[in-house]
Amino acid sequence: MSKFLLMVISAVLVKNILLAQFLGNCPFQGTSKKMDTAMGMGMAVVFVLTLAGAITWAVQTFVLEAFDLVYLQTIVFILVIATLVQFVEMFMKKAMPPLYRALGIFLPLITTNCAVLGVCLLNIQYEYNFVNSVVFSFASAAGFGLALVLFAGIRERFAISRIPKSLEGTALGLVTAGLMALAFWGFTGMVKG
Amino acid sequence: MSITPIIIAVAMMFGLGIVCSLLLAVASKVFFVEEDPRIAMVEEALMGANCGGCGFAGCNAAAEAVVAGKAGANVCVAGGPAIAARVGAAIGQAVDLDAEPKVAVLNCRGSYRVNERFDYQGIQDCRAAALYWDGAKECGMSCLGLGTCKSVCPFGAIEMGPDHMPVINTNLCVGCGTCVKNCPHHVLHLETLSERLLAFNRTDECVPPCRQLCPAQIDIPRYIRYIKNGMPLAAVETIKERNCMPLSIGRVCPHPCEDACRRRFVDEAVNINHLKRYAADIEMYQGPTLNIRVARNTGKRVAVIGGGPAGLSTAFFLRRLGHSPEIFEMMPKLGGMTRYGIPEYRLPKKILDWECQQVVNLGVPVHYGKKLGEDMTIQSLREDDGFEAIMLGIGCWTSSAMRCDGEDLPGVFGGITFLIGQGLNKPLPLGKKVVVIGGGNTAIDCARTSLRRGADVTLLYRRTRKEMPANMIEIVEAEREGVKFHFLAAPTKIYANKDGNAAQLEYIRMELGEPDASGRRRPVPIEGSNTIMEVDNILSAIGQRADLSFAAKEAEEYRVETTKWSTFAANEQTLQTNIPFVFTSGDVFTGPQTVVKALGTGRRAARAIHLFVTGQEVTAPPSELLKPTPEALIPHITGVAEEPRAHMPELTIAERSLNFKEVELGLKPGQADRESQRCLQCGNVCFDQSAFDELFVEA
Amino acid sequence: MRFFQELTKGFWKEIPPFRLVLGLCPALAVSDLCSKAIGMGLAVTFVLVCSNVLISAMRNVIPPKVRIAMFIIIVATFVVIVEMVTHAFVYPLYQQLGIFIPLIVVNCIPLGRAEAFANKNGVMLSFADGLGLGLGYTIALFVLAAIREVLAVGTIYGYQVMASSFKPFLFAKEAPGAFVFLGILLGLMNLASSKK
Repeated sequence: MSKFLLMVISAVLVKNILLAQFLGNCPFQGTSKKMDTAMGMGMAVVFVLTLAGAITWAVQTFVLEAFDLVYLQTIVFILVIATLVQFVEMFMKKAMPPLYRALGIFLPLITTNCAVLGVCLLNIQYEYNFVNSVVFSFASAAGFGLALVLFAGIRERFAISRIPKSLEGTALGLVTAGLMALAFWGFTGMVKG
Repeated sequence: MSITPIIIAVAMMFGLGIVCSLLLAVASKVFFVEEDPRIAMVEEALMGANCGGCGFAGCNAAAEAVVAGKAGANVCVAGGPAIAARVGAAIGQAVDLDAEPKVAVLNCRGSYRVNERFDYQGIQDCRAAALYWDGAKECGMSCLGLGTCKSVCPFGAIEMGPDHMPVINTNLCVGCGTCVKNCPHHVLHLETLSERLLAFNRTDECVPPCRQLCPAQIDIPRYIRYIKNGMPLAAVETIKERNCMPLSIGRVCPHPCEDACRRRFVDEAVNINHLKRYAADIEMYQGPTLNIRVARNTGKRVAVIGGGPAGLSTAFFLRRLGHSPEIFEMMPKLGGMTRYGIPEYRLPKKILDWECQQVVNLGVPVHYGKKLGEDMTIQSLREDDGFEAIMLGIGCWTSSAMRCDGEDLPGVFGGITFLIGQGLNKPLPLGKKVVVIGGGNTAIDCARTSLRRGADVTLLYRRTRKEMPANMIEIVEAEREGVKFHFLAAPTKIYANKDGNAAQLEYIRMELGEPDASGRRRPVPIEGSNTIMEVDNILSAIGQRADLSFAAKEAEEYRVETTKWSTFAANEQTLQTNIPFVFTSGDVFTGPQTVVKALGTGRRAARAIHLFVTGQEVTAPPSELLKPTPEALIPHITGVAEEPRAHMPELTIAERSLNFKEVELGLKPGQADRESQRCLQCGNVCFDQSAFDELFVEA
Repeated sequence: MRFFQELTKGFWKEIPPFRLVLGLCPALAVSDLCSKAIGMGLAVTFVLVCSNVLISAMRNVIPPKVRIAMFIIIVATFVVIVEMVTHAFVYPLYQQLGIFIPLIVVNCIPLGRAEAFANKNGVMLSFADGLGLGLGYTIALFVLAAIREVLAVGTIYGYQVMASSFKPFLFAKEAPGAFVFLGILLGLMNLASSKK
């Protein structure tokens, strides 16, 4: 159990995929302008990433490795993720309209969110087993959501601040993310490895 | 080298592709959900990369936002101008499905005139400034002038003008509403022309005192500004956003607006009403006739019963909103009480004809000679003719009884009956000595009309001149023309001569007692003061009421509720009656009132009917300003140079005798220019100190 | 002429990731060393050029409904090729870049250009567009990497430029530094182009 706890803390705080591993920056800059958008995006990523982690692990183990086709990993994964996201979107729209309204509109973003593909690839790289993959996927996504929500909180304050013209928008967003990353850096050493 | 791995790889990709696409194909059938087709059109135009750079959650969400008007065509930051043009083309079609484009409109006109409450040195952003005691300006609804709207506008459509107020470039504005959302004082709002036509004064809007008191809520400073800038047609256009009869109103309105004019704390009120007439006269006599903009046809049919000011106003505004109103008029011509109740010398018939024709010209069919209860009923209109809504604007056409003996004798006429005869060009026979009973405008109209027909006229009123409900100017003119006034006198009995015609009027003297509910002192008869006077005719003009006899012909479920004053009972703000599709307006709802009030209620009914026929909930106008705000009505007038009010040129008393020529001649151009410059262009609290010598450049 | 225009716009006017705010993740991740930056830049250039040319050539046969899926597959195919080539011939770079090579698939630049440009323009122009933007991206990554490498290690592309007494500024090497320097560079770019 403590192994999982450690893994979660590591993925959420120490090796935050967004701030320490640079994955998922485009949607991070895009959807962090408003708190409710950030919340929705965070939730959607948690949902899809956990699913995608499980499915890509299965595909890797039972298809790619079984047929010795590991070199097709990238192309197969992106295909699987795209299909999964589309499927989940359609399913949610029909079966769970309230949930779709809350999360669904963020789903298309996730296909091209490198955090999703990245974490799926990391699962394989770290040679995790199925349970580990799912936990790691979930924790990484939670870390992404946490950073996103914190960041949105900061960005909402920009609205009433004086910002040099040339730093408006993404430039200041990046600098702010840098300062946040510095804060997360402080967690290094909490977990070994 | 074996070929097997290649075959496996190809088969594997092929299989996976088939599985994935089959899964999605099945899913898209199973989980199909209806969606606005425009969203798909816009999404088609976007890149579909779902990168999220725009701030929306993916291209589908961005497309939805574009269609909902929350984002503009250049939503896609990654796509650049090429994509923006494509999206623009797509929403070009999408917008086409909507009736009209939205444009941001600035509500505040005078922030630079408002004093600072304190010196604000903080962050130069309106939203931040508003956090400190609602901003440094004295006026809580004025522009703070720090330009947040400019900085947030994604389309560069807002510039800050020289007086530190935003200037909106309507060509660039796409109506995204970003500025509206970010303005802490709600100085900006979005509107389409239709929305402007339906707007009522709001509590969170800057409304100068004249606009607060105008029953039709005309934007008075705006049209005076147009006159000042030499654009009388633009002035008429402004007026016609609220009032479809500026020619008539410009002649007969008792102008409550002028009672609120701040200028009267300097010298005299601005001659608002005659400026309206000036502009409207220019449209009629010099042209060109305004091309009134009408929204796209909706095909919603509405029956408007009564072609008086209320009905004309309802029909006019419904037509402008794209609906198809039809007027049912019992008389041979339109105009209602403005035609039959107001004599020729105040409102010439040819002017009224022209004005009514303007409404008809918008495409409003009129069915003449059709009376509710005789030629049709609410039921037949709804069930046989298929009207989706009905507006009852049937007015108050019956004279109230005097309740004295002998009032049914020949020679005793209802005042309104007398005026209708006059209006129909079938004047009732009139003797030499005429007594008019009553103190309202109808009584004065009867008196002045009788005078023009050569009679010797005495007006009997049970209170004093001070209590007379008629317009003061009318009373003064009647006195000048030679009407004799007999105050504190009430009729008690009418005696007939040997032919059976009315010949003698017995009246009793009154004195004023305690004030009654209306605040006027109640007249009390003085016992034994009965006096008899010789008369030929008696005109009773003590009040009018609606003729609601048609109700007897209606089925139970089509019977409109009435009040004890024989008016229709309806919601004050929506004018909807107990029958959801039946609305009312004008005198039959308010009781006998002014033309401008009827026009105002007519537009209010049009708004409610619009909501009703378009399937929306019929609710009161949002945050409506129901009673005048104290801060707008308190005078704050200093530093304005005096300049006398322009007076209307009129016929001399001699020129008026025995004819019905229009008495008031209209302001002369020079007079109107001067008068328009007297307007202080007030806001809710602010006003122009240097009104007279400053000429506006901006319209 | 047009060809030249499309080629050079990527060097300044539409240089990613500054002008075209796309492809941020790899820009942050691989810009701590110049060698990685150039490797990444060239990899992206290769994918971009190839996918642009192929998509442009096939633009009339791809059904619009499934175009995005097709684009992803095409881009992914070239990414796999890059992955295999680096794996085979420049193994150290393959190890350094790690998962950021497969992640070129979801880097918005190739996909975005496919949709915005290659789908509508001829093969030659698409080639120029891909090459220009790819090289522009490489330059941008190199500039950022040079700054970070000088501050963090004192070298540029492995060559010592700082005196041996120079104390490395570790911040520039780590994640926070990546964000801050990219942000500042972006701000400077904005400033420079607004002055023009």
